[in-house]
Amino acid sequence: MTKDAAAQPITHSTTIELCEPAPAELPVGSTLVMQIRVSCPAGCDLSGLPLMVTGPGGEVTTIEPRSNQELAPQEAALRDISLKVPPQVGEHVWSIRLPAHESAGAQHAECTLPISIRAKPHATSLAVWAIPSPVVMGERFSLKVGAKSAAGYELSGRRIQVSDQSGRVLGQGHLQAAPWPGTSALYWTEVELPAPDREGMFWCAVNFAAADIETPHEGSSSKFSVAIVRPPEHKLTIEVLEKDTKVPIEDAQVRLGAYGAATDPSGRAEVALPNGSYELTVWKVGYDTPGLTVDIHDDISVQVEAVIVPPENPDAAWLM
Amino acid sequence: MGKNANIRGPAKGAQSVSRRAFLSKGAAGAGAAALVSAGSREASAQIASAPVKWDLSADVVIIGAGVSGLAAAITARDSGASVISVEENFDIGGRGMLSGGRVHLGGGHALQQKAGIKDSADQVFKDWVRFDSAVARYSDRDLVRVFADENVATFDFLVENGVEFIEKPIGPEAASTVPRTFVTVEWQNQDEIYAPGGDRNGSGLVRRLEQSARRKGVQILLRHEMKSIVREQTFAGKIKGITVAHPGGTLAIEARKGVIIATGGHTGNVNFRRTFDPRLTEEYQQACLPYVFQGAKGELAAMELGASLWATANQTSESGAAITKTRHIGCRWGYSSLVFQPESKLFPLAKATGLTVSDWQNMIFVNQNGQRFWNEVDGSYRFFAAAMGYHGDTAKLNGGGPIWAIFDADAAAREKWDPKPPHVDPDGYFASADTIAELAPRIKNPHQTKPISGAVLQETVNRYNAFVAAGTDSDFKKPTPLYKIEKPPFYAAWATPILHDTLTGLRSNTNGEVIDIRGQVIPGLYCSGETQGGFAQHGLARCLVFGRVAGRNAAKGAA
Repeated sequence: MTKDAAAQPITHSTTIELCEPAPAELPVGSTLVMQIRVSCPAGCDLSGLPLMVTGPGGEVTTIEPRSNQELAPQEAALRDISLKVPPQVGEHVWSIRLPAHESAGAQHAECTLPISIRAKPHATSLAVWAIPSPVVMGERFSLKVGAKSAAGYELSGRRIQVSDQSGRVLGQGHLQAAPWPGTSALYWTEVELPAPDREGMFWCAVNFAAADIETPHEGSSSKFSVAIVRPPEHKLTIEVLEKDTKVPIEDAQVRLGAYGAATDPSGRAEVALPNGSYELTVWKVGYDTPGLTVDIHDDISVQVEAVIVPPENPDAAWLM
Repeated sequence: MGKNANIRGPAKGAQSVSRRAFLSKGAAGAGAAALVSAGSREASAQIASAPVKWDLSADVVIIGAGVSGLAAAITARDSGASVISVEENFDIGGRGMLSGGRVHLGGGHALQQKAGIKDSADQVFKDWVRFDSAVARYSDRDLVRVFADENVATFDFLVENGVEFIEKPIGPEAASTVPRTFVTVEWQNQDEIYAPGGDRNGSGLVRRLEQSARRKGVQILLRHEMKSIVREQTFAGKIKGITVAHPGGTLAIEARKGVIIATGGHTGNVNFRRTFDPRLTEEYQQACLPYVFQGAKGELAAMELGASLWATANQTSESGAAITKTRHIGCRWGYSSLVFQPESKLFPLAKATGLTVSDWQNMIFVNQNGQRFWNEVDGSYRFFAAAMGYHGDTAKLNGGGPIWAIFDADAAAREKWDPKPPHVDPDGYFASADTIAELAPRIKNPHQTKPISGAVLQETVNRYNAFVAAGTDSDFKKPTPLYKIEKPPFYAAWATPILHDTLTGLRSNTNGEVIDIRGQVIPGLYCSGETQGGFAQHGLARCLVFGRVAGRNAAKGAA
């Protein structure tokens, strides 16, 4: 009697593979949607078979077969899976399993695909603003600090600190209940700090430890600078006028090094500053103003002449 | 004049899409035609050495119904020729449709006289060959002489053909020593313009010329793209006609006397523009998209017959509007005077108006690495050089990559911006976030090949803020940097330099006949407008003048 090879049960191997590599790490709690390919070397249609996914906690979910029957073989082999990263930081492993089964007249072996993802804490980031500029040495001043969870978590009540370059804490506060207007989830507060006793650029850092938040967050730190100056000794009044007509120019930006102000409707700005020599510049779009050197040893006034520069017509893009 | 007798009718199946029929549909679908031809199609000039079967025939065939092409068409008709114009776009006008309508013609025409301005053809010539003007000294002075001599006649031609002008003279501009710029009146029918609400008075020029052309019997075939120019032999003999592709198929159009190339420049063709400047890689957008694509198709078709380029120094003299600063940040095509408002038919393609910058103090610019590279207030070619400089991307050595404006809530308030759609395009040209560190990875665009590091961007902003606090920009000497970038939320907007003028093109003689690389006329081939090299004056005037010159000479059939 001849052996009929066709009557022997044939076992096909099967494979599950990711269409694209899985990310090595993801924030806790995020959902990863991926496409996988389930196939057998003989090209059997496995699209009608369910898959079992065993999650990191041991829970098993079933991915039902795709309902659409009108698919090309390439398409039919693809499945979408959705994995939810647990809220614990650390390595998590999922296992996707195609159970052994018979289909298309052949036995198919079981196969599994492990997927390993490291869950990391949510990132946080910081902002510092409304820093007075400049600050007089030795004085106390306030600024605003804010923290944002990358996942938009509510951070109100958490502590935020400001330290100097050496790490010494200079001031702290607790984030307020509502996010800063215009932001989606930047929780903020005002912090009062002492200015150092010497002039210069003072570098500090705002630090957010991100402790005591239910869902794990990574702390963060961000540098910022504050210009520290000597106490003022005299007052400088700057008047900005249009050169030919003498019309006062409002809203011109006046700067002398670390000091600045904007002119009022009478074209005047006042700046209090210590004795010394300063480069005065004035800026307003549509005007050309000469810079001047100003020596301060008394209360003085200066006038700056601004020449109107006709706005460049954007079509006349000529340069000589 | 005015008779169509010499134009033989279209073969069965050929489609001639009338403007009215098109405009009654939305522009969104068909507008894609302008973009589709942008990347994928090559202007291959397949030279037929075997006789071509002609579907249509006319004395003069003009490729392009923009400013120069329309002027050529009318002039050829006025000279007694039958004319077929083919236009690849879904509507006429080219860049002129979106221009400000500033026509720089002088020589002592009627409006100048009315304003008491003394001018002459000789003065126009003298001004435009000035050695001390970089927009004049690299010109072919034979062409400048033609330009000068034709100024008054061209102005009169416009008025005769129904173009209306605002009588206020502007200037002197550029090399001119006398006011010569007059602005056309914008086209009154809002349904027939593409950039409403933006002083785009050029619509008044092109629509009037179109009206006159049609009235005079020019046949304008829209959505007909030239595929090749047919010559007796590749490098010898007369021009016979052109082949075109259109939505229904292809056509061969015989030109009994001449073909005029008025296809409008090369700025959108990356391969071609890099001939003059290898820095101009893909990330640099072409102004006037999504309406007009400047694909160098006319140049390429002529060069495949041996045509020469001419006066290429104009393209890289760094003195005109070849490269411009993006005035409207946060959108793809933020060219200085052109803004697409939501009412524009092209808005579904343009996608955003952009945020118009009043004061460059209100932002910093960072390159694709998240670092500042130059004084933001500078709008000169030194700024462009820095923007297009090599910033360390080992995978792409040429070009400078995307440039991003970074600013905060206070800057948006000072500029009176509303940094949300429809003012910005968040799909590749704008991002916002609560903090700088969060903003960096949100900056995404096909040309932003690696994300900007949050730490690097924070460092850039911190450093800049320290300069502001001290009153001096130690890195790039921005004049008195005024405003810190501090107050949340924070924004990043596309601010990559955008390309505009084509300032070089095909060589031609004073009749507008195209000259080949051996200095010989290609009989029956003419060029005008941005396709033509030799005179780099920015704007409409040279396109109008040389369009008329080409039209007149093609109608004579000088070859």
